[in-house]
Amino acid sequence: MTLIPFSVRRRRYSVALIVLLLLAGAIDLLLSITLQRTALVSGWVLFALVAVLASYNLRKRISFLPLGSSSTWLQVHVFLGLLSIAVFGTHVGWRVPNGYLEVGLAFAYLVVAASGMIGLWISRVFPRRLSERGEEVFYARIPRVLRRIQVAAEREVLACLTETESTAIPEFYSEELRTFFERHRYFWQHMIRSQRGELELIRKMELHGRYLNEREKQAMNSLAEYVRVKSDLDFHFSHQLVLKVWLFIHVPLTYALVVMAIFHVLIVYAFSGAVH
Amino acid sequence: MTTDPDVRRKTQADVAFDEGMDDAIVDELVAAPAFETLDPKYRKSPGFRKTLRAHARVVDVQRGDIVVREGDWGNSAFFIVSGQIAVEIEPPESGMPPELLGRRQDRPKGFLQALTQLFMNHRFPEFRDRFSFAGSRSAVKQRGSGRATRIYLQDVAGVLDKYAHTILEPGQFFGEIAALGRTRRTATLFAVEPGRLIEVRWQGLRDIMRRDAGIQALIDQRFRERSLRAFLEASPMFEHLREEQGESLSELADGVELKVFGDYGRAQSFRKMAEESAADGFADEHLMVREGDYANEIIIIRGGLARVSHQFHHGERTISYLGPGQEFGLSEIVANHGSSQPVPFQHSLRAIGFLMAVVVPAHLVEKFILKHPNSPWHRKTPSEERSRKLAAYRDIDQGFIEFLVGNRFVNGTATMLIDMDRCTRCDDCVRACAASHDNNPRFLRNGPIHNGIMVANACMHCRDPVCMIECPTGAISRKLDDGEVDINDETCIGCSSCSKHCPYDAIRMVEIRDHRGQFLRDRTVASRAPITKATKCDLCVDQKGGPACERACPHDAMIRIDMNDVETLAQWHNQ
Repeated sequence: MTLIPFSVRRRRYSVALIVLLLLAGAIDLLLSITLQRTALVSGWVLFALVAVLASYNLRKRISFLPLGSSSTWLQVHVFLGLLSIAVFGTHVGWRVPNGYLEVGLAFAYLVVAASGMIGLWISRVFPRRLSERGEEVFYARIPRVLRRIQVAAEREVLACLTETESTAIPEFYSEELRTFFERHRYFWQHMIRSQRGELELIRKMELHGRYLNEREKQAMNSLAEYVRVKSDLDFHFSHQLVLKVWLFIHVPLTYALVVMAIFHVLIVYAFSGAVH
Repeated sequence: MTTDPDVRRKTQADVAFDEGMDDAIVDELVAAPAFETLDPKYRKSPGFRKTLRAHARVVDVQRGDIVVREGDWGNSAFFIVSGQIAVEIEPPESGMPPELLGRRQDRPKGFLQALTQLFMNHRFPEFRDRFSFAGSRSAVKQRGSGRATRIYLQDVAGVLDKYAHTILEPGQFFGEIAALGRTRRTATLFAVEPGRLIEVRWQGLRDIMRRDAGIQALIDQRFRERSLRAFLEASPMFEHLREEQGESLSELADGVELKVFGDYGRAQSFRKMAEESAADGFADEHLMVREGDYANEIIIIRGGLARVSHQFHHGERTISYLGPGQEFGLSEIVANHGSSQPVPFQHSLRAIGFLMAVVVPAHLVEKFILKHPNSPWHRKTPSEERSRKLAAYRDIDQGFIEFLVGNRFVNGTATMLIDMDRCTRCDDCVRACAASHDNNPRFLRNGPIHNGIMVANACMHCRDPVCMIECPTGAISRKLDDGEVDINDETCIGCSSCSKHCPYDAIRMVEIRDHRGQFLRDRTVASRAPITKATKCDLCVDQKGGPACERACPHDAMIRIDMNDVETLAQWHNQ
């Protein structure tokens, strides 16, 4: 079995993209010189590109058919997506279009294209982040793990209260840690890989340590460990959530774009008599 | 309530092959014509009775019962007490078709058939047609129940007419080569008439061979004639000897030594071994060759896996691993050939669990490889392939090799590896698998991770598939070309034997449902327990284009890989 290295594959697709871009530019130039209607050609090319791009999601649903690997489809999807930006620019003349439908269509296209590029970046960057921090955990199991950590932390607090009959730890837990363990926290901080929230809590716990006896210090150390574990879980939750959610923007908007594009084509042809 | 903290140590009798074996049956077996060839003194000894009691069981067969099936793995031999057993003697290419032997028919779905899955897949997972239980569509039928279930041929006369065969009579025995070597059965045997067999598991066979020189010589001779010659002929090192009318191969087969390392039974507990290995280094692995010893032989692995290691400060570093057909020591013998400065073994070799190896002495290597006029080894560097492999090993992170060998993942021929640095956790692979298999995925995207590489919980289609041992109906089988290990749903009786034997937890028992989503229950038992079936990855044998999981991964994060293909592994690992 021979594998094609990613770098080689990327190079091949990049060369193909450049060739296609040059070809598209040349055709556009040729049509302009010969005073042809370039918008009609670029419009149909763009429509075809959007249809091919949208078909990737259908291919994912019929994975058992021998239609080539999903990774090849994704590569083609990415590079045709990039090509479509140039075609789109040519089609709209690199300016904001007129008319509500055209503006809506252009906006939908731009959001789909932008979400696609962000999604590509997320898909390349987030997996590595996830494998670098904490334990691997299924997204569906995260609520259960969260609950388990919370229960373990509260057990530690109650055990300390029973043994020491001091409220130092329970009060601290109630004021500073309860909400942290109850739900996911610091979403945006995790997005930029900041551990500020977690370190802030740890710092508070260390400061509070000067008011504690040995048993309470032991409990506080355990809680600090739970804070670290919970923070890792939050990190996984926020990243896995984004990895799933971006598709909920990209895919439905793609379908909306296809519907609007069909409507756009119908209108263009319905009123093209006046142009002719 | 007793307060005595002492317990009775278990004896061989407590873990007997057949718990119902008593003195009366043993008396009958000792007197049976099946053992007439044994030394009379040994036959009357208490040792032989003990062996039979611990390691033998009586198998009564009906006409048509398939006793062993070509391609299956077994750990026992059979002695014929009464009745006749037919052995199919045609080569596999023209022999009995797989469906006749109860194997799943391998017919990849056409494009339209595959497309209809989109609409025809049942909405409940693990749907089975209730009516399929009324009668099997398979050419073979089942009789008996539970672990005593057997599959049988309906049309024995037709099979005997159509396929070349030979008949074994009472007093003869069969199945010993596969049992002792833990290799697959090379022929199918079925009962021509009702009769009785004594099935002796490999431990018992080993005991008998130790005590009876006659039977040991007979088995050794059979092994060299039937199995060892073919093995050596298939080896790339000796393939040039095929042209010589078999004389050289016979001389070679007579001159080599067969060695068995490690514990035959231990391979079933790879996971336990892996844990012990992590704790004690290589303590549980049998040292076959020590680095620095004089190199006077080459070792060819016939069955099992071996670790190649090198002294590194106060420990040992794993360099590579070897599987069936691979050699160890040739480069040293080549270096020593015609040299006054002897080169000792450059690495140590250890058996990972049970291992069977063919040891070729240096003088035979010289005669048949280094000095032989037809040997291609004259023209190219003898260790070219090995050098390429070693280079690939060097390209892979050292810790990853230790991880693979330590956890015995090198056993896989289609191990599922996931690069967690690329995997977006989208579960497209899981969905694709479910869509191809009754809406229930046949693997878990979960498993041990080393440095960002996950070995997922999916059937690896092991080189040494211990799950196949003891399946009472032969429902789990391997393709004859050593391909994928597959379960025939029609002949699976849900006994979970395969699931218990799998060291990697890759076989799951599932409760099956009817078209309304209700569990199908067994009406023959009072509890009406749900009927279960064994399920596992089948590498999408009936889907065009190969494993759906691998094809469905958008980010090239997953690969199904033969762990022997180290060059691809290195390429994938480093890309």
